[in-house]
Amino acid sequence: MDFENLKEVADLSLFWEYRYFLLRGLAYNFYVFFLSATLAISMGFLAALMRMSQWSFVRPFGTLYAELFRNCPEYVLLVWVHYVMPLLLAYLLQAKVNFHPVVSAVLGLGLAYSGYLTETFRTGIQAIPRGHLEAGRALGMSGGLIMRRIIIPQAIRQMLPEIMNQMVSLFKATTLISLISVPDLMYQVSIVTQQEMRPLPLYSGAAVVYFLLILAISNLVDLFSEKWRTQYLTR
Amino acid sequence: MPPAEQQQAVVEVINLHKYFGDLEVLKGIDLKVFQGDVVTVLGSSGSGKSTLLRCINFLESPTSGEVRIAGRPMGVRYDKTGKKHFESNRNITKMRSEIGMVFQQFNIWPHMTVLENVIEAPVHVKKMPKQEARELGKAYLKKVDLLDKMDEYPARLSGGQQQRVAIARALAMQPKVMLFDEPTSALDPELIGEVLEVIKALAMEGTTMMVVTHEVGFAREVSNRMVFLHDGLVEDDGPPSQVIDNSKSERCRQFFSKMLH
Repeated sequence: MDFENLKEVADLSLFWEYRYFLLRGLAYNFYVFFLSATLAISMGFLAALMRMSQWSFVRPFGTLYAELFRNCPEYVLLVWVHYVMPLLLAYLLQAKVNFHPVVSAVLGLGLAYSGYLTETFRTGIQAIPRGHLEAGRALGMSGGLIMRRIIIPQAIRQMLPEIMNQMVSLFKATTLISLISVPDLMYQVSIVTQQEMRPLPLYSGAAVVYFLLILAISNLVDLFSEKWRTQYLTR
Repeated sequence: MPPAEQQQAVVEVINLHKYFGDLEVLKGIDLKVFQGDVVTVLGSSGSGKSTLLRCINFLESPTSGEVRIAGRPMGVRYDKTGKKHFESNRNITKMRSEIGMVFQQFNIWPHMTVLENVIEAPVHVKKMPKQEARELGKAYLKKVDLLDKMDEYPARLSGGQQQRVAIARALAMQPKVMLFDEPTSALDPELIGEVLEVIKALAMEGTTMMVVTHEVGFAREVSNRMVFLHDGLVEDDGPPSQVIDNSKSERCRQFFSKMLH
């Protein structure tokens, strides 16, 4: 093993040199993360409501939705949304359709993770004892009010660790979007690599940045949510 | 007081039937509860006591027959031709807010403090200003002797205390009638007394209520009327002393002889 190569792995000065260029890439990771997380949470919640609907004909659609996106690899979904969906839409609308890579990225990742979240939301909501809802109904609370005031505040406390796991996975998955040419951190790294011909420090740098970011954010969320999540349960 | 026939019943149950699938749980119940009545409902398990209460506030919809609250049909309405329709959810919800209910399992919301539990419905259903609701809530918590616990979370309370919070929560909506569904059945024996005391005090103040219970002594003491259900039908209905000691019904006599000996 060439010792020089090994030393180069740990030499992050090149990474530092290109920091603004790379940071701009990282901004795309965050941008796509926040948009797709919003999409995933809203669609996941909707699909969970469909799966639990009092109208039995609605339920299979929720199930189909969740199963479809939960069982499709994120990468495949990204490529499909970016390259295939525009063609289908073009055929349907009889017009030229192109998705901006960011739009495809948000759609692809958002849909994929909404599938996972559907199940998280459904089990979380169903874990709330029926009596809590009946007490609300007996007091004259409407279904929406019960959902907003009784179910969600309790369910979210129980689901938060699981949702955080999903969000961490989603953030990791944003590194895939370079493959449909969103100029995220990984994409920028590959561009610098082509110029400098020194891939090792750049990829090490990217790994370290992702690792530290995810570690820091998930710990901060734990730190600030743990008391809120559990205080009411303590005797 | 005018004779009962001329008074408007607070709760009127007319030929009420309820099926769960093929099982007929209520087989035609007729019942009137008047202002200030304290009606206890007794009967062996499976006789339909809880189902009757749950049909009165439409937590279960009756299969046929009708419930009227202060003369208004609950959960259904009639159009001009006299045809019966299910009422909209919004209107059912509105009428429910006039009926207080206390459950066997308390069903206090654990993520809210005691006072928050009590003011939730006044603030969000009745749209009462929060400050006013807090004062009202405190008054009812004082009534159930839990004012000092108003900022605690329910997990820190005993079962008896939780049930008293549930009573205050129902009272805070100032309902026309209170329904108690076996309010002490889930409690440890030493905690039953404190809850029965609260219910007794409400009865003395003239609160109209129906209480499903197994506490015969309590029922004899507080109620002016006792309804004995058997197999989905009213088997006996009258003053507690008559129903407990001198019932014409053989089943009723058997039930109480088992309870009392």
